[in-house]
Amino acid sequence: MNFDLSEEQQMLAETATRLFDGHVRQAEPDAKAQWRDYQELGLIALSLPAALDGLGGGEEEIMLVMQAYGAACGTAPYLQSVLLSGRLLAEAGGENGERALSALLAGERQYALCLFEPDSRYRWDEPATRAEQIDNGWRLTGAKVAVCDAGADSWLICPAAVEGGLGLFLVPPGAAGVAREEGIAPDGRPSANIRFDGVMLADDAAIGDPAMNRARLARIVDQAIAACCAEAVGAMEKLLDITVDYMATREQFGTAIGTFQALQHRAADMLVEIEQARSITIYAISMMAAPEAERHVAVSAAKALVNRASRFVGCEAVQLHGGMGLTSEYPAGRFFQRLTTLENLFGDTHHHLCEVERGGGV
Amino acid sequence: MDLQFDEEERLFRGEVRQYLLEYVPGHIRQAVYEERPLPREWMVESQRILNRGGYAVPHWPVEWGGKDWSAVKRMILAEEIDSNCVPKPLPFNTALVGPVIATFGSEEQKRRFLPAIANLDIWFCQGFSEPNAGSDLASLKTSAVREGDHYRVNGQKVWTTYAHKADWIFALVRTSRGERKQQGISFLLIDMATPGIEVRAIPTIDGYRHVNEVYFDNVLVPAENLIGEEGQGWDYSRYLLGQERSSMGNVGYSRRRLQRVRELAAATSGENGPMIGDPVFRRRLSWAEIELKALEFTQMRVVASGRDQGGGVDPKTSILKMKGGDVLQSAVGMMLDVLGPEAMTSGHVEPVPDDPFQGIDARSAIVAAYFSSRKFSIFGGSNEIQRNILAKAVLGMGGRR
Repeated sequence: MNFDLSEEQQMLAETATRLFDGHVRQAEPDAKAQWRDYQELGLIALSLPAALDGLGGGEEEIMLVMQAYGAACGTAPYLQSVLLSGRLLAEAGGENGERALSALLAGERQYALCLFEPDSRYRWDEPATRAEQIDNGWRLTGAKVAVCDAGADSWLICPAAVEGGLGLFLVPPGAAGVAREEGIAPDGRPSANIRFDGVMLADDAAIGDPAMNRARLARIVDQAIAACCAEAVGAMEKLLDITVDYMATREQFGTAIGTFQALQHRAADMLVEIEQARSITIYAISMMAAPEAERHVAVSAAKALVNRASRFVGCEAVQLHGGMGLTSEYPAGRFFQRLTTLENLFGDTHHHLCEVERGGGV
Repeated sequence: MDLQFDEEERLFRGEVRQYLLEYVPGHIRQAVYEERPLPREWMVESQRILNRGGYAVPHWPVEWGGKDWSAVKRMILAEEIDSNCVPKPLPFNTALVGPVIATFGSEEQKRRFLPAIANLDIWFCQGFSEPNAGSDLASLKTSAVREGDHYRVNGQKVWTTYAHKADWIFALVRTSRGERKQQGISFLLIDMATPGIEVRAIPTIDGYRHVNEVYFDNVLVPAENLIGEEGQGWDYSRYLLGQERSSMGNVGYSRRRLQRVRELAAATSGENGPMIGDPVFRRRLSWAEIELKALEFTQMRVVASGRDQGGGVDPKTSILKMKGGDVLQSAVGMMLDVLGPEAMTSGHVEPVPDDPFQGIDARSAIVAAYFSSRKFSIFGGSNEIQRNILAKAVLGMGGRR
């Protein structure tokens, strides 16, 4: 057992911090330029398997990157593009998968995974969306909700029930029969509900093997959840820093409010919850190579605890800031909004507790 | 970063477990499982078994029985002791006074006390707190005045766990008054059989005897029982409180308790099938188990980070203390809730003289443990003190000007 960062890991964390901080400060972010930055710094190779010249494995490194991303309150679609879509395309493989992946790696295409459906909350593995084989292709019918960071020019990756298992379909932007209802997530980022009304797709739109896609996607989603946990830990840590700084400068009754014991104790309680959240995130990361059932329970346990901590830390930070915590101009509120979004992303607290219990407990 | 136990650590866990299950008698482990108060002889027997296997004082210097194991291995040992229902080595002996004697005592004191402390041939209790010196320990008043070869000790200690079972007490006493109240405190070993010592039980809400008041009325203590230098006792006590943190989170203990909650809840009828099937009850248990899993990793992080640094307490130990107490308390709260109406007939009874368990059976032990468990957020620096430490040492928050 050893929790210390290696020199390379230390450098990676610092590099990622600089990168994400820089991106956040850009007045008019350019997604393509950001993508090139990821690529140059090796962040894309990092999360893709060794087969594609990635560094391979790397769950611990991804944790560090996502913590940095969380601390910067990053807005670039790193999770959606790289951790979800990139990994899925890389692992689905085959001619179609590889072609789609090279377009992603070349920065020509962005992808968004459409995971959730109306009326099934956070269960994604038995979709009502269906694809039927027709002459020279497929017909896709169904609806997906809460598709994050899917720009109008993004390709969609849509899981759908097919004969023999779970199909994964690449839907090009502007395909006929795709109806998008654009929305906004609690943190202000784009999030869409998308209907597929008999969308006609070419043969090569299908990737992966329907018999194996579910297990593969389950692993990638679990990895993404662990990454979300790491992002939340980074965000909470930074939010506590911001809050403690604020308390050291804000004076009332002739003294900095950070000298009041009642308030110090609330800050200490935030720290305790954050450290517990960090610990269970590390636990989830340590279970990534375990069999699916154990891995999934570990990840759900982590998400449940991190969610609880996120809500507690977010609410407390706003409270300790007083009215300033409610203003948009002050950073505390933005972190609270992002933490609230992360709480919901890939399953809320109730969902993950149910998953833990379904799996027999942690 | 290496987030898995290595081969050596896994093998070590297996060896320890095998030894404990083979040598520690079943009736002792059963009583621990049921949280009953153990007779003194059983605790002595169990510690001697641990000591024989090299498991009582691995954190001590090697020449006095220590093992030079990594902090991670010592943590594994502590977890296995707790989760296999083996009584912990008496902490006053092995975790507190032993390391102080080994570090600051004379050769003669080491020879005289250390082997006996490790083997529980001598049972020590801790004389720190006083009626007006609790969280503010340095305010202590018990005085020791040098008279030739002796100190004359007068004063009172309180909350002294097992003083009624102990052979000796290690006490912080005031040998002089300095500018600061931390000055002039000395660390003295006192034989409990010395004339002038009176031990009075403090009846507690859990119904069995563990804490006491200890009165010193002109007690003459040989000067050779002073540890280290006169007036340096405060530093020694700081050192002592910084010792052996590898099981501060009580992870093994909580795991055992939560396992028992599961077993009790599976065996107890709820209003709709077994209690364990009740979703609301199940949810409480899930939270506690998740919190414990996080605590397990927090503990490993604290233990692993201290491994190479030596010296200095990681302030995050305070997190272990607070969360560790939390989980223990919530687990026993669930046990009480599983008892349900049975709790109504499980209050403690007056012990009959020969009852080794002081009149406490397996059900009343739960009620007793429930009350007793409140101590976890009070002793060894209350949760409020721990929050002060975190705010100052980790978050750098200042005091009032």
